[in-house]
Amino acid sequence: MIFDVKHKNAFAYSQDVSISHHILHLVPRDTPRQALHNSTIIVDPAASLRLERRDFFGNPVTYLTVQEPHHLLKVLASSRVEVQPLGEFATTDSPPWETVVDQLRRDTTFEVLDAAQFSFDSPYAESTEDIYRYAQQSFTPGRPLLQATEALTAAIFNEFEYQGGVTDLSTPPQQVLSTRKGVCQDFAHLQLACLRSLGLPARYVSGYLLTKPPEGQERLVGADASHAWIAVWCPNVGWIDYDPTNNLLVNDEHVTLAWGRDYGDVSPIKGFMLGGGSHEITVEVDVAPVNTA
Amino acid sequence: MSMINSENSRSSEANGVDPLSGYSTSPGAYDEMLSADGLVRQQWRPLLDGIGGLSEADRKLAFRNAQRMLHQNGMTYVARDDPNRRSRPWQLDLLPMLIQPSEWQALEAGLIQRAELLNVILKDLYGPQTLVNQGVLPAALVFGNPQFLRPCHGIEAPGDTYLHFMAFDLARAEDGRWWVLSDRTQTPSGAGYALENRIIASRCLPDLFANSNVQRLASFFRAFSEGLLQHSRRDAPLAVMLSPGPTKATYFEHAYLARYLGYPIVEGSDLTVRDDRLFLKTVEGLKPVDLVLRRVDSELCDPLELRPDSVMGVPGLLHVARAGQVVIANALGSGLLENEALRSFLPGLSRHVLGEELLLPSIATWWCGQDRERAYVRENISKLVIRKVFSPKNILEPGNDSYVGAELSAAETEQLSSLIERRGYEFIGQDMVSLSTAPQWNDDGHLTPAPMVLRLYVAATPDGYRVMPGGLTRMSEMGSQVPWLSPGNRSKDTWVLWDGPIDTFSLLGQSSANLNLRRGGRNLPSRSADNLYWLGRYTERTEGAVRLLRSLVARLSGETGPWEAPVTLDLLGSLLVVQGHASTRRVRQAIEGGSRAVENELWTILFDPDSDDGLAHVLANVRRTAERVRERLSLDTWQIIQDLNELPQGWNLRSGRELDDADQLLDRMVQDLSAFNGMVMENMTRGFGWRFIDLGRRLERVRHASKMIRHLTAREDVESTGALSLLLELADSAMTYRTRYMSNPQLPQALDLLLADDTNPRSVLFQIAACREHLAALPSDTADSVMSPAQKLATRLDTELRLADVVMLATPNARNGNRSALDRLMKRVDSGIDELSDLVARTYFSHSMPQQVSGPVWSERVT
Repeated sequence: MIFDVKHKNAFAYSQDVSISHHILHLVPRDTPRQALHNSTIIVDPAASLRLERRDFFGNPVTYLTVQEPHHLLKVLASSRVEVQPLGEFATTDSPPWETVVDQLRRDTTFEVLDAAQFSFDSPYAESTEDIYRYAQQSFTPGRPLLQATEALTAAIFNEFEYQGGVTDLSTPPQQVLSTRKGVCQDFAHLQLACLRSLGLPARYVSGYLLTKPPEGQERLVGADASHAWIAVWCPNVGWIDYDPTNNLLVNDEHVTLAWGRDYGDVSPIKGFMLGGGSHEITVEVDVAPVNTA
Repeated sequence: MSMINSENSRSSEANGVDPLSGYSTSPGAYDEMLSADGLVRQQWRPLLDGIGGLSEADRKLAFRNAQRMLHQNGMTYVARDDPNRRSRPWQLDLLPMLIQPSEWQALEAGLIQRAELLNVILKDLYGPQTLVNQGVLPAALVFGNPQFLRPCHGIEAPGDTYLHFMAFDLARAEDGRWWVLSDRTQTPSGAGYALENRIIASRCLPDLFANSNVQRLASFFRAFSEGLLQHSRRDAPLAVMLSPGPTKATYFEHAYLARYLGYPIVEGSDLTVRDDRLFLKTVEGLKPVDLVLRRVDSELCDPLELRPDSVMGVPGLLHVARAGQVVIANALGSGLLENEALRSFLPGLSRHVLGEELLLPSIATWWCGQDRERAYVRENISKLVIRKVFSPKNILEPGNDSYVGAELSAAETEQLSSLIERRGYEFIGQDMVSLSTAPQWNDDGHLTPAPMVLRLYVAATPDGYRVMPGGLTRMSEMGSQVPWLSPGNRSKDTWVLWDGPIDTFSLLGQSSANLNLRRGGRNLPSRSADNLYWLGRYTERTEGAVRLLRSLVARLSGETGPWEAPVTLDLLGSLLVVQGHASTRRVRQAIEGGSRAVENELWTILFDPDSDDGLAHVLANVRRTAERVRERLSLDTWQIIQDLNELPQGWNLRSGRELDDADQLLDRMVQDLSAFNGMVMENMTRGFGWRFIDLGRRLERVRHASKMIRHLTAREDVESTGALSLLLELADSAMTYRTRYMSNPQLPQALDLLLADDTNPRSVLFQIAACREHLAALPSDTADSVMSPAQKLATRLDTELRLADVVMLATPNARNGNRSALDRLMKRVDSGIDELSDLVARTYFSHSMPQQVSGPVWSERVT
């Protein structure tokens, strides 16, 4: 499928900001199933310095400095991406999860090393004994890796309540596990902590999801949101994405922006400024399928 | 146990104390001074003879001098385990640790090799990572390590020098071999303390030091600084020391080293990124910075790309480093190599990378990420120390887990063992450390053995890595395993003995030795200017308060001099209110209670350390601002401030409460303040720093004077009530008046002297004129021919005072007896001073305003 994505951020400050620096992860990366056709980022007021590079994980990063005094900053990212559907594979064919853990310990081929770096705790997704025990409920001995991951995805979907406002960016997965409430980011961090507590490589994926209007209604423009999910590494198959918030095996209706160990590596937009006082953020996201017929 | 062999210990001469009598070493442990058979090791002989030959008086004098120097220099540290983070006085054992030449050469070679090896490893891990890809180093040690900072990957270091300064803790095993306990590659501390220990030990034991052929330290620091500066692309590079600020454990050392090396000491908020460059905010505007010697941990250095909750960093610093526009020492991310798990791989890495055997062994360490090692550790848990090496230092909670196997219960052992089985990569097992003992010199002149750890330093220089020929020896209590800076633990100077000629170069007192000639206060950070200005204001405020209190005490004690008219309690009390030392209500109550109650009130102001408006409060402000610009104050100046702060505490008045004592105390304080002012006037170069301190002093003096004048001239009968005499006295102008007029004070003459006489250094006009001069000399945004707003304001005040008609001002209104013209003038002066202070702050200090930092909260929340 082909999508046009628009992601608008507006930051209104109560006092003038004299200088601000920003890091953006707003240009969708290429993946084996995703190709970027074009992308632009408009910044108002204009950035005095703007630099594009790749981060450690290969994601496109934009570094911005706005050096003229301003009390409103607008960042509009637009891109067109094409996502291929997921090929056929059977979750039951994947190896028992313990053998994957074992392989990671021994195998030093590039592909395995590259996956192994995602098997450790990270700042926003720290595992605990409770999380380990919770993971074990889905990861029973000898269970095929993907089948178990699918079960864990379903468990989080079924046993946790989607509720905004009860967590924030620094809510640890342990707390999410005990309150059983949160938003997509919390579910993703929890699932990452579960998988890594077992020694499995899992990464955080930041992106968008095509939302479908209820039957018979028009699609609302700008009502979408940024989204987050996870991917697990499976030998011979590669990275497979699961969306615990929607209990989905990710196919061609998710657009990937960037991936990393957790939110901290790939937050869509962050910044530091001199001055500014208090501020208010407005975000609008629109994911529109492009009719290619 | 081996007791000292008696024919070996030459009994000492006159004083009767044999330092060795009763020195008994522990079985098994290596003793630095005594061999296993109880003989004094050869290199210690001259030193022992030397201290044995000291008379009791000489020894006590040396101890006292050392205490005094430690105290005067304000040498403090914050103990790791102190929850209140209080500064403690540094403890120094004057008897040095000795290392003989042959042993030193071996240590030197081993440490240089280790430094080179670590540098190559760091370069590889933040670059191509071939060590991981080739399987020489397990991936877990890099990717599982919270100190592997991914945003720093790919940043190149000029000259391939990633590590500029390192420290290594060493311990000596029973067999006499040295083992490395830890590698410090992040922000190694202690070198400043080592330097200070050296200075004190060499000054307190001058003959011993001179006769011992000890290697000097200064050329090491010079070579380090040269090595750092050579990486800059500019001819006159600006290097700064980035410190976490005065609240941190080792700020003393940061300031000390910054001063020693001649770099400005800065905090994150003093720096800013514009485009591709890093700048220092100075009173002259933004100055490009070329080199950063950091004392801030890597992950706190850039809140934009590293830890967003850090308030010590500079947003955008990584971007500048990536652009190659700044050299950061050590390279960001260098904490990666401090990981203890890495140690067990160093021998293999040394062979692989350098093609050499590792010269200095590390303490035996088993990383549980490997099958064999994990099995060994699980089997031998009770004999080992288990450490969790990857406790992520993260935003959520810090962790530092270490278990002594022998101290665990069976259940705990079982639990730990299963955790190690599952998450082995997070754990190491380590042999228990056995430390050698070294003699500690006690107050009674005897020596006793205590466990020690030696910290040595390595720096990158233009000729490669060099080891500081000396070090920091830390002692711990007998039986203790970890000699860290715990309360009560002492340190020692470390003398590396030499058989060749000694390089006696010193950096102290000749900071311009290897630099081009420069004049003026270049690169004065805005924050330093801010603090200097307030130091000037607070010292002057103290002086005003002390002079006021002294006059009050003199009058309360009853007998006054021939020129000091008695003053009513009312008037005295009201002055306390005007100067903000007491509330109106408190003063009224005291006056109703009679002179004894007023005296008590005065006592609270003078000596109560918790009073918000007393002397202690003003003095605390002096101390706080002085601490923040410590590297800009001479040692003598600093000592005056120390003394000033300690005077009221030292005055034990609990029992006597004699007014005479208070009088003496206040006299001493006036003397200290005069000494401080003398230092500022006579010893500070006339750079911007001096101008700010003096500007603060002048403005504060005007503020004080205008309040006093307004208040004491408010009544009609100023001459007869003694108010005028008091005013002259408080302005330190009574003597001038008397010699000039030879009569009892009259108001018009007094006003002329206090307000408009530009030859009286205490007059208001004199202060304003001095301010004008400073403002003209300070950098300004406006063109040279145009006056800045601050200059205009000062000029207006200047003119107004020069044109003042003192007779008219002194004449009361016929209608109500008030001197309203004088009152209005003083109000204008007072508010003018406030406005001037504001303008100065906005013009020169606004750069130092804290930045609004918003990391994660600023970010969009993903749903």
